[in-house]
Amino acid sequence: MTDLELWRRGWCLATALLVPLMVLLSPRWLQLDATGPAWSVLWLLPWALVDGPWSGALVGAGLALLLDALHPGAVSQVPALVLLGWWWGRLGRRSVVMERSLSLGLLALAGSLVLGVSVLAQLALTGAWPASALQVLWAQTLLTALLAPLVCSLWLLIWRQQLPGVR
Amino acid sequence: MQAGRGFRLAPRRLLLTGWPWLAVGLVLLAIRLSKGAGFSDLYAVLTRPLWPGSAQSEWLRSAQRLDQQSRLVQLEADNKRLRQMLDLREQGGRLVSAPVIARPASLWWHQLLLARGAMAGLASGDVVLAPGGLVGRIASVTPTTALVELLTDPASKVGVWVPRTGEHGLLVGTGTARPVLRFLDRDTRARAGDLVTTSPASTLLPPNVTVGVVQRLDPQGTPAPEARVQLSAPIEALDWVQVRSMAHEATP
Repeated sequence: MTDLELWRRGWCLATALLVPLMVLLSPRWLQLDATGPAWSVLWLLPWALVDGPWSGALVGAGLALLLDALHPGAVSQVPALVLLGWWWGRLGRRSVVMERSLSLGLLALAGSLVLGVSVLAQLALTGAWPASALQVLWAQTLLTALLAPLVCSLWLLIWRQQLPGVR
Repeated sequence: MQAGRGFRLAPRRLLLTGWPWLAVGLVLLAIRLSKGAGFSDLYAVLTRPLWPGSAQSEWLRSAQRLDQQSRLVQLEADNKRLRQMLDLREQGGRLVSAPVIARPASLWWHQLLLARGAMAGLASGDVVLAPGGLVGRIASVTPTTALVELLTDPASKVGVWVPRTGEHGLLVGTGTARPVLRFLDRDTRARAGDLVTTSPASTLLPPNVTVGVVQRLDPQGTPAPEARVQLSAPIEALDWVQVRSMAHEATP
């Protein structure tokens, strides 16, 4: 791998910083029932599909640590995102079919559901169960799945242009 | 038949010639029955330009406002003096205005991000106020930002009281716009419409700050009665908030 490729790869990885920024920004016009999409899922899904299970799990952990810093309390997104990064990385290694719009949508739906359930389980353990939990979970899952074909394929396109060597 | 036609003809002619009299009679009857109601309406329409205008009510209202304001200032001064005598916590403390720069749209956590942090003198545990009353407390600070845990957050628990009945309770966030007030007493005399404020003897929060209004009471709640509280500060519409730092009060 040449220096230029490493440099470009670093830039591609740095786009992960957009995720916490989007979480903080959370534009009103991209909300369903006052809930935004799971931006971490929308970024991690294409990254793991392209870059494999090890990279997916590692970057997922880093991203989750960044996101955890945005919230008070002990609830963590690390386990869910590591698991999802690993799983998607394995799927991406197996076939290219996963990068079709419908597959991206379904994978994002499952990922958002896993992430929401893991957060909810931790909230339930700490005794702070939100009253509208299932409604929020459902709204976030639907919104993420609807945005996934758009956003994920855009990321895939950009990364492929920057790194011709990538699968 | 001849006589019958004569009988029918005579009243009809009378009707044709005498209808003005009949009309006058009907008008008089209407006046009698309504006791002249139309005249007072007519009087009202005619004198409309002479009515007391909006300016007059405005004067009255501003006078009333002035009176209330001066009474508020006097009572606050009085209150401060009495609190000093009782050695109770004062409402003082430095107020720091801070803009709200992010409101993450995740209902798992109800939080705000402020653009003032430790460098502006804020610390974890400070109280966040907005037009309308209490909003939440600061959960963590960085040098230039502060994270506010709103009263609606499921992890938020704040001691409050109902001034009308003098009952204490715990305001617990539910993740929805309306937190739940758990009373400490088994039978509560509070009812819908009661004001909820922070306790006048509170040590963690500034005393007597408006929190909200009891919206619905559930007397059958376990282990104690519960009430839904509508917060008085419009949390969805906040642009700027005020942070009252509590740390500075401890050192006189």
